[in-house]
Formats: sequence, C-alpha cells, structure tokens
Amino acid sequence: MRKTIALWLAAGIVGFCIFPWYSVDSGFWSFSWLFSEFLSEDAAPALFQALLYGRWWFVPLALAFVGIALSFAVLKDERTRAKALVILSITGIVLLFAQGFAIGRTGPELFNDALNFGSAASGQIGFGAGAMLTAGALLFILTTSISGLGQGRGDAFIVGSIGLIIALVVTFVFYPVSQILIRAFEASDGSFDITAFFTRFFSSDIWSLACLAGGKTCGPAWNSVFLAVLTGAGTTLLGLAFALIATKTAFPAKKLLRVLTIIPIITPPFVIGLALILMFGRAGVVTDVLHEMFDISKSRWLYGFSGIYLAQLLSFTPIAFLVLIGVVEGVSPSMEEASQTLNATQWQTFKNVTWPLMRPGLANAFLLGFIESIADFGNPLVLGGNYNVLSTEIYFAIVGAVADPSRAAVLAVVLLMLTLSAFIAQRLWLGKKSYATVTGKADSGQHSPLNPALKWACYGFALPWAAFTAVVYSMIVFGSFVKLWGYDNTFTLDHYIRAFSVSFNNGIRWTGVAWDSYFTTLTISTMAAPLTAVVGLLTAYLLVRQKFAGKNMFEFSTMLSFAIPGTVIGVAYIMAFNTPPIELTGTSIILIIVFVFRNMPVGVRGGIAAMSQLDKSLDEASITLGANSFTTVRKVILPLMGPAILAALAYSFVRAITSVSAVIFLVSARHNMATSFIVGRVEHGEYGIAIAYSSVLIITMLVAILLLQVVIGQRKLRRQNRLQTSNKNKELASA
Amino acid sequence: MSIMQKAGSVQFRDVVKKYGSVTALKPLNLDIQQGELVTLLGPSGCGKTTTLRLIAGLEAATEGTIYIGGKDVTHLTATYRNVSMVFQSYALFPHMSVVDNVSYGLRVNKVPAKEAKAKAEEGLAMVGLAGYGERLPSELSGGQQQRVAVARAVVLEPEVLLLDEPLSNLDAKLRRHVREEIREIQQKLGLTAVYVTHDQEEAMAVSDRIIVMNKAEIAQSGTPRELYNQPNSAFIADFIGDANVVDCEIVGFGEGTVSLNVGGATVVLPYSGPTCQHGKLAIRPEGISVSQSATNGIAAGVSYAAYLGNQIQYSLNTGMGKLFAIDHNLSATVVPTGTEAFIHLKEEGLAFLPEA
Amino acid sequence: MKNALLGGLAAVGLLAALPATASAEELNMVCGAEQDWCELMARGFEEETGNEVLMVRKSTGETLAQVRAEASNPKIDVWWGGTGDPHLIAAFEGLTQDPGVDTSELLGWASNMHKISNGGTVGIYAGALGIAYNSEVLEERGLPAPACWKDLTNPAYAGEIQVANPNSSGTAYTELATFVQLFGEDEAYRLLTEIGKNVNQYTKSGSAPSKAAARGETTISIGFMHDMVKLAGSGFPLKIVAPCEGTGYEVGAVSVIKGAKHPELAKQFVEYALRPDVQSRSVEVKSFQVPSNSKASVAPESPDLASIKLIDYDFATYGERSTRERLLKRWNEEVKNASH
Repeated sequence: MRKTIALWLAAGIVGFCIFPWYSVDSGFWSFSWLFSEFLSEDAAPALFQALLYGRWWFVPLALAFVGIALSFAVLKDERTRAKALVILSITGIVLLFAQGFAIGRTGPELFNDALNFGSAASGQIGFGAGAMLTAGALLFILTTSISGLGQGRGDAFIVGSIGLIIALVVTFVFYPVSQILIRAFEASDGSFDITAFFTRFFSSDIWSLACLAGGKTCGPAWNSVFLAVLTGAGTTLLGLAFALIATKTAFPAKKLLRVLTIIPIITPPFVIGLALILMFGRAGVVTDVLHEMFDISKSRWLYGFSGIYLAQLLSFTPIAFLVLIGVVEGVSPSMEEASQTLNATQWQTFKNVTWPLMRPGLANAFLLGFIESIADFGNPLVLGGNYNVLSTEIYFAIVGAVADPSRAAVLAVVLLMLTLSAFIAQRLWLGKKSYATVTGKADSGQHSPLNPALKWACYGFALPWAAFTAVVYSMIVFGSFVKLWGYDNTFTLDHYIRAFSVSFNNGIRWTGVAWDSYFTTLTISTMAAPLTAVVGLLTAYLLVRQKFAGKNMFEFSTMLSFAIPGTVIGVAYIMAFNTPPIELTGTSIILIIVFVFRNMPVGVRGGIAAMSQLDKSLDEASITLGANSFTTVRKVILPLMGPAILAALAYSFVRAITSVSAVIFLVSARHNMATSFIVGRVEHGEYGIAIAYSSVLIITMLVAILLLQVVIGQRKLRRQNRLQTSNKNKELASA
Repeated sequence: MSIMQKAGSVQFRDVVKKYGSVTALKPLNLDIQQGELVTLLGPSGCGKTTTLRLIAGLEAATEGTIYIGGKDVTHLTATYRNVSMVFQSYALFPHMSVVDNVSYGLRVNKVPAKEAKAKAEEGLAMVGLAGYGERLPSELSGGQQQRVAVARAVVLEPEVLLLDEPLSNLDAKLRRHVREEIREIQQKLGLTAVYVTHDQEEAMAVSDRIIVMNKAEIAQSGTPRELYNQPNSAFIADFIGDANVVDCEIVGFGEGTVSLNVGGATVVLPYSGPTCQHGKLAIRPEGISVSQSATNGIAAGVSYAAYLGNQIQYSLNTGMGKLFAIDHNLSATVVPTGTEAFIHLKEEGLAFLPEA
Repeated sequence: MKNALLGGLAAVGLLAALPATASAEELNMVCGAEQDWCELMARGFEEETGNEVLMVRKSTGETLAQVRAEASNPKIDVWWGGTGDPHLIAAFEGLTQDPGVDTSELLGWASNMHKISNGGTVGIYAGALGIAYNSEVLEERGLPAPACWKDLTNPAYAGEIQVANPNSSGTAYTELATFVQLFGEDEAYRLLTEIGKNVNQYTKSGSAPSKAAARGETTISIGFMHDMVKLAGSGFPLKIVAPCEGTGYEVGAVSVIKGAKHPELAKQFVEYALRPDVQSRSVEVKSFQVPSNSKASVAPESPDLASIKLIDYDFATYGERSTRERLLKRWNEEVKNASH
C-alpha cells in the first residue's frame, strides 16, 4: 500500500514539476520540451508556469501535493493516513479540473470577475502530458487510499480499476454526452425549459401510432423499436443456428461458413445496401430475372422496412454469432451428458439443459442486435425509403437543412430510453440464476451432437442465409471490377489503380488516392483494438467478479456510449473536446478514444457472457494461493477467455475500420478515415472506387482476424477436441 | 527443500458478517490451536462456509478481529494471508497441467521456477500422483483431481489449510479413503486445518475437534466424544448421531448430578451446568435396552423390530412418546413386533439438555 | 501491486501522448464538392503557393454542424464548395468572416451572394435545377416525357417521381423556394401536393433522386442539372429537362471561417478559387457547374444558363431562417402528408 502510494506520488510530482503541463506543438514524443523548451511558456511544467509566468492558479494544486506528501510522510496510523490522503487527493482532482474549466483559451470562463487578474486574462491552452500524469497520479493515490480504508476488500488493483474505468467513462462518455443532452432542455430562444422538453418528448412526431390505425407511417420511435426487436430476434436466431452448426454438428464446410458469417461484420457501411439495391431494387438483377421469367412486376419493396431489415440481418448476424459461439462452446459437455444419462433424449437435453444454459448468451446477443439496430444509421439511410427511424432523424436534425440540435437531443433521449428499457428487460429475463459451467472440476466430456430435426432446422435456416450472403458479396467483388456497376459491365482494374496505385520511381511512392486514409485507418484501428479489449474485459471482470456499491449504475454507464447514435457522439465529442481543458479535435487521439468508448460495450458484453461461465472458485483458488487479483486475471481468467478476447479484439478492430457516423465529424485532413473517404465517393455516385476500396478493407480485416486467431487461438480445456463424430473438427472449428 | 510445516493458530474475536441487512454470522469467537484439525459442521446456511471464507480472506469481516498465527489479518485480503484452500469443486485451472496447477501458488509467490517444480512434484508424490504432472486435470479421475487440489494447497506450507466440503463430489468408498489420506497428511505435516462439512460421520472421523454451527452462531464445540456424550441442546443431540429427545421432570440437583423423573423412572445423571427449571432428556438409541423377560421398567409396545446382522432395531411406543432403539447384543432374542415389553435406560446413553 | 501500477501508468501514458495541434504554415480546408475537384483545388493551390493544404471532404450539412460546434475554437480555415445555402446560414449566424477579396470580375449572382451575406461567403459556381428521366424505363412503361414542372402532376406518373426532402436537403429546399417564387406561395403548395401524390420517396439527400433515376430505381427525378449531366456522361440513360416555366438555381460558395487560425492564407485561397483560369479547370474533373468568374470558360457539356429560363432567385429572403422555417412547416403539413 505504502509503496504504491509512494510511486504514484512520485509520478504526480514528475507530472507537476517536469512534464509540460500544456499540450506542446511539437508533440510529447519529440522530447524537445525536455531540453530547449523546458522553461518556455508553452512547454514549462506547472511548477514553472506558476513561478515564471504568473499562473497563480497552480498554487492551490501545488499545496494539495505538499499536503499529500506531508501526510504520507508524517502520519503513522494507516487509517488516519488513508483518510487524509483520500480527502487531499479529491481536493487535488477538483482543483486540477476547476482551474482547467475556469480559465479557458481566452481568459476566465467561470467567475469572470473574481478570477480576471494577473495572467488569467490571457487564458491557457489544453491539458498536456503533465496535466494528464498529474490527474492520473491523483486518481490512483485516491483509489489506493480508498482500498486502504478496507473498501473493495482492500484490493488496490480492484479499487484502482474501478476508479480508472469510472474516470474514463465520466470523461469520455458522460461529459461529452451531457454536453449534447443538455440541449434537449433548451427552448428555441436558448433558455432552459423543462416543459418544452416534455412537449417535444411526447410529440406525435416521435410517437405517432398512425400506421396501426391505417395511416401511412408510425413515428420514428415505434419504427425503431419494431425494427430493433425483429432484428435482435432474427440475428440471435441466425447467429445461434450458425453457432450450433459450428460446434455441434459435423457439417463439412464449417470453415467457409465461419468466414461467411464474419464477412458482413467487416463490411464498410453502405456497401450492403448498395449491393441489395443492385440485386433487388426496381432495376436490380434479381428483380429483372423475376420479371422476365415469372412476370412479377418490378416494385420498390426494398425501400422501407423490408430493405433495412434485410440489410441489418446481413450486417448484425455475425455479432450474434460471435457472442453465441463462445457460449455454445462453453456449455459444459458433462451437463449435457448428465442429462442424457438421465434418459433424456437429445431434444430434451437441448431443451432442458443446453438452451437454459445459453440464456445469458442469447440475452446478450439479443441486446446487442437490438442496440445495433436501433443505432444503425447507414442501412436506413440507403434503404429507408419513407420508413423513418430515430438514428436517421437525429442525423438530419443535426446536419439537415434546418439544423435543430435540441430536437436531435430529444430524439437521442428517446433512443437512450429505449436502450435502457431493453437493458432492464434483459435483466429481468435472466434473473439471478447461476450460469457457471466451466468449474474448476475438469471435465472430459464431448459436446453432444444436435438431434436430427434440430440439426436440419439449423441447416435449413442458416445455409440459405449463408448462400445469400455469399451472393451479396460476390456482387460486391464483381462491382469493383466493372466499369459502371449495373450498366457497363466491362472488366476493368481502373478503380483499384486509382485507389491503390504505387509508383516505384525514386523509391516507393503511394500515388493512389486511397493510401492516406488507408494507413491512417489501419494505424488508428490497431491502436484502438487492444485498448478497447482491455477496457471492456476489465470492466466485465469488475462487473462479474467484484461486489461494489452502484454496480448496476456502473454497468449501465459503460453501455451508454453504444446506445447513442454515432452522429450524436461525434457532435458531442466536438462540443466537449474542442476547447481546453481537454482539447483533442483534429488529432488522432480523439478518433482512438471515440472508438474505444463506443466499442467497449461489446467487449463488456462478451466478457460478461464468457466470465459468467467461469466458476468463481477458480479465481478464489488463485487468490488463496497467494496470487493478487491482477495475477489472477492474467494467469487464470484471461487464458480461459480466449474466444471472448478474440471476439473483443477482432470486433473492436473491425468496428474502428467500418464505423462511419461518429467519425464523420471527427476526421480531419491529417487524420482522414477510410469510411469517410468511401462515403464521399458514394455520395457522388462513384460506386466503383468505393467498392474497390471496400473490398481491400474487407481483405485487410480478414487477414487481421486470421492473424489474431492464430495468435490467441482457442482455449484448451479438454484434450480431445469435443465432437464424437469428427476428428477434423479441431482444425475446422478454428477457422 | 521438503514441504515444511509452518502451522499457525486462528482466533476470531467478535467477528460479525453481514450481507446488507442479512446477518450471516452473529458475533463469533473462535480459537483454533496450532496443528489442530477442526471441523465446522452444520446444516446448510448455518454460517460454516462464511466462517471458512472469512479465515481465507475471501470475505471481509463486517466487525471484529481475525488473527492468524497471532497476527491481526482482519484487513488483509486472501492474497496476503498465508492460508490455502481446497474447494468443493476442486477449482483446478483447466488450462494448466497438473504440475502447473500445483506449482501455481509457488510461482506467483516468486519461488524460482525450478524449485517450484521440484516442490510440486514432491507434493504430487505425497498424494500418490507422482508421474501425473504433465496431464491436464480433465484427464484425471475425480479422486485424483481432489488429491491434486490438496497437493496444490499443501505445497504452499500454509499457516492454515482450509477445506470446503472437499469430499462431496466423490463416491462413498473413495470418500472414506481420501478423508483418511487428508487426515494423514495433516498429521504428518502438523498442519492447522479447518474443514467444512455437513456430514457428521465425516466430521467425527477426521476431527480433533468439531465446531457445530447453527443459525449463524456456534451451537457447541468439543471433541467428537464430548459432542456425542454431552450434547448441550436438542439440536446437537439430534445432529451428532441419533437421539430420542423426550420431556422429563427435574427432581433436583446434587453435587455434580441431576436427578430426573422420566416415564415413571428416576435417573441420576452427571451434570455440572447451572441449575434450571426445565430440560429435556436425550436418549441414544443404544442407551435403551428392550426386554420381555424383565418385570419392571418402563412399559413399551414394540411397533417394529428388525434384525440387521450387526444390530437389532426397534421402534417403541411408550408414555414418553415414540422411541427408536438399537441393540448391539446380537445374542439377545429379538422381541417380536406387536408385543409388549419393558425398557431400561442405560446411564451412558443419556444426556440432560437444560432449557433456559 | 507493481503490475497494477504499470497498467495504470500505461493508461496515463497513452493520454499523456497528446499530439500537437496543427502547426503554422498549413491551410485547413474543408471541401464540399466531390473528391476529385477537392483534390484539384487543394493540390493546385499547394503547387502555386508552396503552402501545404490539409484538405478533408465533408458534406455541407456535416461541415455546418462542425463549424457550429467548433465556433469557440475553429479548426477549419476555409470552406470551399458545396451548395451555398449552408454557407449563407453560417454567414447569417456570424460563423464566417469577410476574406476581403475583389469580386468585380464575378457574375451578378456570385457577387450578390457576397453582398447579402455582408462578405461572409462568395459564389464560385452555379447550377440550375431541372428534371431528369430514365429514358429506358420511361419507354418501358409507356409514359410521356415531362417538359414542364406542371407536367409532373400527371397522374400517369404515380409512384414514378423521386425528389429529396427539403427538411434534410438543400437541393429540395431550393426546389421548394423556386416553386414559391415561380407560382406564388399557394399555387406552389397546390402543385407540390399534386406532384407529391406521384412521389415514391422523399430522399434524405439531394443527389439521391437523380442517381436512382440513372439506375432505373425511379423513373423521374428532380435535382441539379450538373449532377444529371455527370451521370448521363458516365453512361446512364438519363435525359435532362429544363422546365418550361423556368427554374431556380443554387450557388456554390466559398467561406472563410470566423476566427480562422490562418486568415491570410485563407484569403489567398479564396482569391485563387475565384480566378478564371482556376475555375476553368473544373471540367478536368468532370464538374459541369457554371463558374462564377465571367472570364472563366464554360464546359460545353454544362447546362447553358443563358438558354435556361432562370428566375431571379431571391437568396436574401429564402435563405433567411424565419422564411425557411415557415415554408418547411407548411410543406410538412400540406405536401408531405399527400405522398402515398
């Protein structure tokens, strides 16, 4: 305890006295702040900002540090010392942020009259390395001291993790989101008005049920709910069928099946919608054929609910699959065997044992499908027709001809409320049962094969779907090699050449128009993915394994960013992080952060599902054997969570590459993303290059996922691999 | 480099555990001596597992102080207590080989890899599993897995070894075998061990001392013999072995004795507790002798009689109520069902249960 | 414990690695036209001046939302291209500043834009509103070709017309305002309601209807003629109609963001963008808008504004917030509900 605090105190002092307090133009890693610029006004640490440049507002913070150091050195009683440190570190954190918010770029922002003296009038710029390190040090001194008071079973790692996650979620989710949600209460003249909020919230624009009464269309809220429930159910069923085929049958082409279920997840936005239009639109290939052969009249059925639903099923089934495959694999074979030895038939075993054990996984898959659908923006935009949903309404409330941020905020509140309801419903359905199936009692059983009827049902359900996916994707690949998709089908490589040409004069020059955004995208996604996995799985660990006050609130807050449409997050991030103290716009950091916190819920859900199948006595065994909780996580929990980690890494990597709505506001010239580039091309009808670029991205992501698979692999719990009928299974299932 | 004993004692001083508003443990005082094997016995929900987890540090005490080896460990987590535990589910790490499982605790405690491995092998040899080190837990039988779990806990040379219903996943024959092994290892290494079970026979078989818990507190503690012969409540009398608990009238207290009137007969029993107004009498089944030839005693109707080879069992209707009796005198004639007889109460099969 | 510390340090370290904000000699440009044209402008300016242009392409709606959100600390210097409406809104909201350039060579509609926005934005090109139809589908369905706005009310076109929603699309708002200016407000709404009965979808984006018509997803679309020219040029069977009653137009614009970090460079860029030789190059990237500099050459494919009956579009009135809100409210009440 003492040693940890001492280390963080030292870190804090480095942050305050050595690191540059503000963000430096040349970048932290150039280290020029350490040499030539050490005492310059731009790069000086806080201590010298106060001493040399009259920035008096650092003095109270310095005093807080002196207080911490003194109590640390002088107070001998552990509890008294811990109490003193808690109070002082909270004071320090408050002071640090208070000065940041109070004194803005051009002078005092708050208490203008009281603060406007000395150098405050000239303002200050955003936090840099020094401020961040200082804030981190104060945070961990706080959490370590809290654990010293016996909270969190006195485990500094646990309390520190909780503190870190809360601090991150508050900074990067609550703070920006509150910036935009507060607009929901803004009347048209800019004043705050609760009644205006309720009028707008319950407006029939949003909640109209006219479609039930024979009217044309319902309000976007009901449209979204209807779509989301059906998408959640549909993707869960399809995902389950694929997961069952992959784990519990001897289906010969599993590898292919797995690839097919993965591909939609790695498809950039708009591409599926475009492919569907080219197949099923009024002038689509399939429509043409049906018209020629069966005289089915060409119609625009695709535009509206049916089109969005189809596209969402294509896009989100893989998510359900990724969640469910871990769950189906994790259902302990001995439980199935137990059931069979009790003379249950295969069907009864499935119904009474396997199915209930998969409930948490199913609930998670449904929740993800529901939320994905409700926040989906690309598919409704392309295929929506006159079927309005919340996400597109929000987008156009922000970027439309009549921008109305307060309407966008109200719609965002509606959307959040729907997500919250789904979350609560999931809770009620799961109840408090225990679903642990991987206990420390090793089991050598084998997965029972599916009963034939169920097997054929899975085949009948999943295989046509797989075939359909395959056709959609061949259309996409085809589209990238022809001059004018749908009209002039002569073969060409022009699109690829324009996007990805390389010239070898004077060394390699990346002359294609897509290279810039391609490299940026890869760099940012590669950085975001592991961070997302760490934050997500750590949160899952805290939620499943630790008891602490406010856990439900904590869990919901980690889901929040996922439930808010990307557009809202994007604008919220600009509003929150464009000005000091935290100034991030135009950097690559803001893109990484937005990905981490938008995709973290997937890591959390996957982690929770996987971890609730690990018996708690495994952790406890490790802890009683003298491992601390960090070692336990590293040596026992992580190795047993292979599939969940893989899913979290792959998913966050892919999401970072394919997400568009949040990114569109945050990309800058220096850091442009592939999707933003592609969308621009689509907007101008240049489908060829858009699709060529998308194909390259798809292949990039496939390679990345395969690499991850090789590195992380499957967890090895039973030596003989699972299925009675096939020895090739291991090799197949690892696809 | 052999496995040493570093046994320590355990003391609880007014330890309370609450989960929200639910009290899982009323103020508890506990003294476990160094090298002693103490069993926590009781029905489910009595607080025995909570007590065990408090010793382990897996739960934090709401109030009170816990000492291990004389040191206050109340605020230390499991990681920092020199205590190891054998779990009901064994909790073997399924992704590690047997030897990795056993050496895990040593490795995380920074014992050099080579030494850890050697010690783990030694531990495995001790439980009769030498040569099984490279297998995965899933390739062992239940009994072998349990022994791995024991070896894993013991190689750490803990001050206290905790066992949470370690045998409940084994079949009856294996159970007897493994419990003997556990007792042997404990004695050989001189370990302080705390053993949780709900099976009284198992408790009697392995323990130096048994602590019976009921309703979140200690009901009685003592050697197996003390508990059996001098139960202090109807609960104990019934929980430890079988007992007929009947009403009785207190005639008076003498010097270290109490005389009672039961079913018309007067019995004098050794008793040194405080005097009281009311009490009950616990009659062990083997404390009743049934005879047709006797002419006096307590009259009883035989409603059921059976010869079981090693004993004769009776169900009797008497003025005190229904009694269950066992006769180990196999040469005696069986009193047939449906006849009348007289019974005698043997002093060594009786215990007075005072009621406040 | 030490491990926990390292984990924490790594997290803080990441945040500490805050990179630099943009440095001094670069022009930050947001471009609202298509990628190729944006590249042409940015690279051309770089070559000529030796300054670096950091350019990103975003739709005008997104740019406006970003400019608003960044108002207190703008990261963009200059906003080039895209329909003039959002530029005007930004100017009216005080989000842009007068670059102080010479507008004497510009055509009337372009300098007018400069004037009504108090210098906040300058016109760079114009594009007229028109009707397009897919000749293959039209023939297949045996429908007459439209020539005038009023033809679109023909019940034979039921479910065949696609047009954008003026609530989300500047193109569609231009159409709405054009109708009001052409026919008077009441008659305009009557016509739009009639046409609405034939509309199969009010799209979110202004360019979507013509793309749908090009591919045969709809038969007839309303949109900007230069977009249609481009689509027809890439091989789609699209025929373009300049409505007989006359038509309105958009003016593409360039604005300098208020509080731009590099105002001098931004001014230079605006001057560059208004030069006739620069404007004449748009045809290189197949952009067929009419340039605003009177001395710039017009591509032969461009819709000849002289031969189209253009109305005297009143940007000052119809660009104003209150007018816009009133017209849209009425549109929502009367027209939107008439669509099937």
